[in-house]
Amino acid sequence: MEYEAALVGKKMLGKGNALLTFACESIARRAQPGQFINLSCRYFLKRPLGICTVDETAGTFCVGVREVGAGTRDILQARIGEIFSVLGPLGNGFSFEGVSKIIAVGGGTGIYPLFFALEKAAELGIPAICVNGFRSGADAFLLDECEKMAGKAIFSTDTGDFGMKGNVIDSLETLSRNDWEGAAVFTVGPEIMMIKVSEWAAQKGLSCQVSLEKRMACGIGICLVCVCKVRSSEEGVPFHHVRCCREGPVMNAAEVVW
Amino acid sequence: MVDLSVRVGTVELRNPVMLASGTCGFGRELSEYLDFSGVGGICSKGLTLLAREGNPGCRAAETSSGMLNSVGLQNPGLSAFLEKELPFMQGLGTKVIVNVAGHCTEDYQKMVERLGAPECAVAALELNLSCPNVKEGCMTIGATAEGVYDMLRAVRGLTDKPLWVKLTPNVTSITETALAAQEAGGDAVVLINTLMGMAIDIKTRRPVLGNNTGGLSGPAIKPVALRMISECFRVLSIPIVGVGGIMNASDVIEFMLAGAAAVEVGTASLLHPAICAKIVEELQIYADGNKIDKISALTGDLRLW
Repeated sequence: MEYEAALVGKKMLGKGNALLTFACESIARRAQPGQFINLSCRYFLKRPLGICTVDETAGTFCVGVREVGAGTRDILQARIGEIFSVLGPLGNGFSFEGVSKIIAVGGGTGIYPLFFALEKAAELGIPAICVNGFRSGADAFLLDECEKMAGKAIFSTDTGDFGMKGNVIDSLETLSRNDWEGAAVFTVGPEIMMIKVSEWAAQKGLSCQVSLEKRMACGIGICLVCVCKVRSSEEGVPFHHVRCCREGPVMNAAEVVW
Repeated sequence: MVDLSVRVGTVELRNPVMLASGTCGFGRELSEYLDFSGVGGICSKGLTLLAREGNPGCRAAETSSGMLNSVGLQNPGLSAFLEKELPFMQGLGTKVIVNVAGHCTEDYQKMVERLGAPECAVAALELNLSCPNVKEGCMTIGATAEGVYDMLRAVRGLTDKPLWVKLTPNVTSITETALAAQEAGGDAVVLINTLMGMAIDIKTRRPVLGNNTGGLSGPAIKPVALRMISECFRVLSIPIVGVGGIMNASDVIEFMLAGAAAVEVGTASLLHPAICAKIVEELQIYADGNKIDKISALTGDLRLW
């Protein structure tokens, strides 16, 4: 179903970021951490946005939006009550199957979908550590919320004006064996960061789920523009293309060909 | 009650609205959103003899009123299609048209032989002589009247099924390639595939698309499609299937007036997966409101100045 959803809440976070809340019971009821929605905008294609949290009682879902171009600018300028056309929840989210502990590693706006994963972990009684890196203190959002959900939270910035100076790998290196042993790593952020995080996880022998981001159109698996490469089991075949929107966006890092 | 049924040669459709190749897969994902028994037909994703992974790198760029794509015919290949996808498509409750692409004449021949066999339950084959995103075959064949003519001659004798020829707008004279398709035994022409274009990232100073160029689709190309259909309608005796930027029923009417017997809706499905059902509904309302008994009467009813 394609839904009509009204914008019911807007919390500006600064630096072109905002949390937007939409009324849509069906999406609120079914959404899982790591899934996304495809939201109409006044330009042409819909814009895929990771779900940040839901309120099943109120029948609302929330997405974190960062202005990256005209489309997201248009979405951010919407007024309360404005109606959007929305598809969702879409794609495969994070799997909590067999997971007894998580380390959620985010880069920048990766914190939005990871917040939803931290919420779910808390709900399931799964201990969680939140590690997030930002460019600077001015780019860091949802900090208190994440701290509340996670048993431990480490924030770092490239500039060092807030939290630790460094990147998420520097933060991960500060974890004790007790912290990381037996954990599943969930990561959302720039590709280069996710590669490094998955390498770190592999070194420690930890499973790692990465949320891939590719330029999308339909979001439902029919146009084949958002493909990513995964390992092939066929001999002599280096990779297969799978749809980020349908088979992803969350993939097992061990299967991804970067 | 208005009669929405139309004919494309011998192929009867319950209404003129079909889903265009490349924007509906094999119907599987869209069937979660759209009841196919309410549309005229579905054209499969472009198929090749062997599976293709498609092009590397970024494959889409938004443009003013449209988009560029450079998917490059990613598809599971003929065998997997016959085994897994065709049976599914046949269960959709609508006419199945298979879009056939290839590198060379032999590829097209093998596919037409297999898909055009009497026992293969497809309503028509749509010969893709127009995909701009592959290095061999497709548009390189469809770019000249000779190429179109020779390909049609090479495959015409291999099947009794209707052959629809999907042509490229990236030519100097669309009537020449359309006439070549007709002369060589094509049963219909499908106008138009995407227009070749480019998008540039000014930060990196590189093309946005990994393939450098891509095919432009969406409302941006509708005027080009209408012009080409109108030109071809005046010289052809075979029917025209119109495609290019259709977003609503009023667009369908324009295409039919220009000369299309039926239409295909493409990029619009990427924005709204159930849009074809809505367009059919709107068509019904339009026809009722304008006292049109038979929608097919609109075809070519354009009075030029």
